[in-house]
Amino acid sequence: MSRWGEEVTVPDSGRSLVPRPSERTPVRPPDGRVDVPRLLAAAAFGLAVEAQRRSLDAAAVVVTRVGSPLRILAGPAVALAQGSVAVARHHLDLDRWAARGLAEQQRAREAATRAIRGVIAAVAAAVLDQVDLDQVVARVDLDQVVDRVDLDAVAQRIDLDAIVNRIDLDAIVARVDINAILARVDIPALTEEVIDEVDLGEIIRESSSTMASETVDALRVQGMRVDGLVSRIVDRILLREGQRQTGPLDRPPRP
Amino acid sequence: MTRDIRYVEARALQGHRAGFASRVVADLVDLGVVWLLGLSALVAAGVIGYLVTGPPFRLPVLPNWLDGSAVAAIAVGYLGLSWAATGRSVGKQIAGLRVVEVAGRRLSLWRSLTRALLYVLFPAGLLWVLASRRNASLQDLILRTAVVYDWAYHPADEAQPPVTRPSR
Repeated sequence: MSRWGEEVTVPDSGRSLVPRPSERTPVRPPDGRVDVPRLLAAAAFGLAVEAQRRSLDAAAVVVTRVGSPLRILAGPAVALAQGSVAVARHHLDLDRWAARGLAEQQRAREAATRAIRGVIAAVAAAVLDQVDLDQVVARVDLDQVVDRVDLDAVAQRIDLDAIVNRIDLDAIVARVDINAILARVDIPALTEEVIDEVDLGEIIRESSSTMASETVDALRVQGMRVDGLVSRIVDRILLREGQRQTGPLDRPPRP
Repeated sequence: MTRDIRYVEARALQGHRAGFASRVVADLVDLGVVWLLGLSALVAAGVIGYLVTGPPFRLPVLPNWLDGSAVAAIAVGYLGLSWAATGRSVGKQIAGLRVVEVAGRRLSLWRSLTRALLYVLFPAGLLWVLASRRNASLQDLILRTAVVYDWAYHPADEAQPPVTRPSR
């Protein structure tokens, strides 16, 4: 960046120009030989900087300790100086010089702003050239990001009714070719499958068999009742007492 | 296939000797069956005659003695074989009856045929059921058989259904 290397930082005040001990670098090159001209230049610069720092420190101490009495004592001197300044301002055309100085300051500030913007753009471009965005994205844990997103809240903010209202279902249905769909359905095979599952024959057999057996049972039980009735009538005619000994057999019937 | 008997009174009477009315109903049905068998025999004879001698088709006319004998033979054969086979003819199947020996066993063939012959010769023997304390016809007394209520179908190799034995 500059000849001073790391010793130069972006200044925010005059004192930050002074390097800290940790920031000082030796002027001795790696091979051990002393570069005399550079040593002298650096020493002069260091001396000037140190003198500036100490003078600033001294001024600060003086201002702190003797500021108030000095300001009182200097009142008449300041008034005198202000009068002198007014005279000088009138005769030496200080206003013009000041305007020129201010314009120069403004110009320098704008130049610095332009330069810094250019530097920033160049640095940003260089950084982007060096950075592999794919790698950066690969290092991002998207799952964690998704976990932090409240999908329910997002869904609640969606107005489904409004979306559905905007859909023209009639138009969609009108575009559906129902005949083509029906042509793809094998209705005879489907019907056959349903009939196979239902087993209509078994149902008819069961129901007719149940009906027949119920009828036969009713007939048989009626026969039983008539049997008993006839027996009782005959027994009464024959003046017989007690019930008939109709069974059961000693052993159950065998076909 | 043994199905449940829904009538309580019928369940209680299974295995008991059947009364007069049920047996008359069964015999009337069997009479109809015999008549149908005789008619079928006549038609079969007519068809055979038609095939042999050619048209016209006519039913054979039997002399009276042969007519009666043929019907009797059909009845004896039908009833005897039915009772010997399953203990029940078509009529007894409908009425829910079964012919067995008094010991409960199935009738032997000769006893079954004899019983059928006795019924054909003297059907009035059935009337003794009215008077008998054990609901026995004359044929039953002679051959030591009985007709019982038995609605269930049970093949020979299947256990017999338990018989409810009420107090006498």
